[in-house]
Amino acid sequence: MSESAAALDITDLVFRYASGVADVLRGVNLRIDHGEFVALIGQNGAGKTTLAKHFNGLLKPSSGSVRVMGRDTRAAPVADLARAVGYVYQNPDHQIFAQRVRAEAAFGPRNLGLSPSEVEQRVERALALVGLREHADDFAFSLGRGQRQKLAVASVLAMEPRILVVDEPTTGLDQAGARGILDLLSTWNVEGRTIVVITHDMTLVAERIPRTVVVNDGLILADGPTRHVLTDASLLRKAYLRPPQVTRVAQRLGDLGVAADVLTVAELYRQIAARVGPS
Amino acid sequence: MPVGYSIYVDRPSYIHHRLDPRTKLAALGAAFVLALAFNHPAVLGGLVVLVLVAGRVAQVGWRSMAPFLAGSVWFIILGVLIWPLYVRGGAPLYAIAGQTITVDGLLFGLAMGLRVALMVTAAGVWMMTTSPQKLTVGLLHLGLPYKAGVAMTAAIRFVPLLNAERATIAEAQQARALDLRKGSPLSRAVKSVAIIGPLFIRAIDVAQGLAVAMDARGFGVRDGRTSIVELRLTGVDRMVMLALLAASLLGIALRLLGIGLISRDYL
Amino acid sequence: MEPADDVAIRVRDLRFRYPGATRDALAGLSLDVCRGEFLGITGPSGAGKSTLCLCLKGLVPAGEFSGSVSVAGQTVAPGSAYVESSALVFQNPETQIIGLTVAEDLAFGPENLRRDPARIRAAIPVYLDQVRLAGYQDVDTYRLSGGQKQRLAIADALILEPEILILDEPTSELDPIGKDQFFEVLERLRRERSITVIMVEHAAEQLAAMADRVIVMQHGLVVDQGPPDQLYRNPVLFHHPQAERAPQISEVLFELLQAGLLPASQFTAQEEAGIQRLRALLENSVQPVAQRV
Repeated sequence: MSESAAALDITDLVFRYASGVADVLRGVNLRIDHGEFVALIGQNGAGKTTLAKHFNGLLKPSSGSVRVMGRDTRAAPVADLARAVGYVYQNPDHQIFAQRVRAEAAFGPRNLGLSPSEVEQRVERALALVGLREHADDFAFSLGRGQRQKLAVASVLAMEPRILVVDEPTTGLDQAGARGILDLLSTWNVEGRTIVVITHDMTLVAERIPRTVVVNDGLILADGPTRHVLTDASLLRKAYLRPPQVTRVAQRLGDLGVAADVLTVAELYRQIAARVGPS
Repeated sequence: MPVGYSIYVDRPSYIHHRLDPRTKLAALGAAFVLALAFNHPAVLGGLVVLVLVAGRVAQVGWRSMAPFLAGSVWFIILGVLIWPLYVRGGAPLYAIAGQTITVDGLLFGLAMGLRVALMVTAAGVWMMTTSPQKLTVGLLHLGLPYKAGVAMTAAIRFVPLLNAERATIAEAQQARALDLRKGSPLSRAVKSVAIIGPLFIRAIDVAQGLAVAMDARGFGVRDGRTSIVELRLTGVDRMVMLALLAASLLGIALRLLGIGLISRDYL
Repeated sequence: MEPADDVAIRVRDLRFRYPGATRDALAGLSLDVCRGEFLGITGPSGAGKSTLCLCLKGLVPAGEFSGSVSVAGQTVAPGSAYVESSALVFQNPETQIIGLTVAEDLAFGPENLRRDPARIRAAIPVYLDQVRLAGYQDVDTYRLSGGQKQRLAIADALILEPEILILDEPTSELDPIGKDQFFEVLERLRRERSITVIMVEHAAEQLAAMADRVIVMQHGLVVDQGPPDQLYRNPVLFHHPQAERAPQISEVLFELLQAGLLPASQFTAQEEAGIQRLRALLENSVQPVAQRV
């Protein structure tokens, strides 16, 4: 796989299911470079999951092309692309079957045909990264939902893919759990991996993810820095989405000098404090 | 596998809506009795045509019934190849490997294939014209315990869900480089644990969630349940059931008399 | 909440431990819920919120139970009679839909309680209308979206005519549209009836907008409670990185409060009210407006 190529290069992607009557994806163009951290948002049925499943070859284009690090996914089996692209499913219980945590995390690397010592090393690294080291010998199902989510992420990280796709990692988690997963992903991203997160959580996107792609009705409605995309209320409305509350509040105070592109609580506070505080 | 809960397709036909599900069940039973009573291809073929006509009366499309017939072609071919080695009678036609193939043998083989076609097509048309909900209530009237009725409905309800779960699990594991196409049948079977394991757990989770939800809505709290589906056997129902009974008895009688058979020795 | 018959639910020292667990799921929890009140419940995973919901529906799981729970005058204990006065909506859209068609699903509860079939049939369109699923009687349930299934679940609960509606994280599996539609239906229901509602939710903004009172649970106990405009000021439970989610407006106002820029009386957790208070603050400020872009 070419090193100078983009991580993901999608051109005019059209997709329809074999038994389908309409195109689910109607001409998607998307380029994601190595090391990027991207959020994929849109309402259910807009096509974001269908799009994401093209990233690791689970789905092949009906027309158009999908290249992963220069390689056409149509020519590559999923098991092979799994080396480069890790995909973490929303519900950890769709993956977890092994008895113990360690064995579960080892499943992916073993499938890649790595040597036992290499597998062991990767498992240790992955479990340490997600903070499940001390549970390595526990039964996978004795873990709570948040920890099982982390185990699912660790199982995929253990394959050390350069690109990671994560589907709704924070659904069903409380605040601490959600932050934990995002911290994890941020760390992984800082180390140079490319991360694509499918999510509904606008607040988390606003706070943690630098680039946002909006999918609507089988097309990319917007693609750019989160600060531009998530603060464009009329654009988001077309995708049946709304900006985070703090952005909505800031925009209602626009006539009083508050910036319209506020994304976080801290930013809004600073805007207001600057105008209200003692000089 | 059906996309929905069953292959039932709602049509504004008399058979769909006015005939009691118990009557339809009786029709299915009669079809099976008659299928077993005769082994002459002309009789069985005629019965298949009768079933198709009933299907058309119920506004079931040819396209919907075709797969059932198509599936039976295989059995007809097998029948015609194998049965002549056992059944002999009438004019001899040719010899293969020391065995003489006779006319009766071929006809019997054809009849066996048509028997499968009859039973399968009757079952198909029956499923397409009987709503699972009404069927369950019909069975309740026939004495099925109410809890079993709810269990049946729940099972049907969760087939598409578990099918979807299976597909999702397969995808999730494929994304972890699980390759089910490579390797010996044994190794592939072992690899399937990665799909069956989570599916089993998911099925249990779904069952548990369902159990709590059912408890929350009062399941099992009273002795028996009422039903918004109210069934009544009409005069037409009774007539039809009587006719079906008569036909079945006639079939059995004709069998005993040796009419409509190629061979009295075989079923 | 003074006279005793204004209390819909009374919980005293409720303790519950699952078999084989190392600590209590509910650790001596006490709570009163007034008739007609909208009570919000929030808190981290494992706090015992779902266990509490089950107990309030009279579905005490197997395990060690002590304390007293009274729901609309009926005592709840392991093995006690079915509680008709409360109804429960669960988190997972899939497992609470039982019927093959929408009508069949709606009828499930009343059929279990041996209600008259004609009256059930008459009630079905009424309740479908209330949850914005009018005309969906004969639709196969597998065709419904997650959001539609959850709205159907509300109808399933309401058709049992409970005094108390309990919702356990009902929108956590829904997309933003599904969530909005769900809360809209709940909002309207609330306005049109005097039903008591208890909702466990992480969606802090909606909780603050709808609830009369919010309680925070941790480790099986209520650690704080109050009207949203009061509760969300708690600096221990909210407003720091490890905290439970609070409405963002309340976080902004809290910061301003801490910095001495906002009087305590102006704190709120509501979006509209918060915008008004911020406007007032900005309009009244003596600072010359900074460079406008």
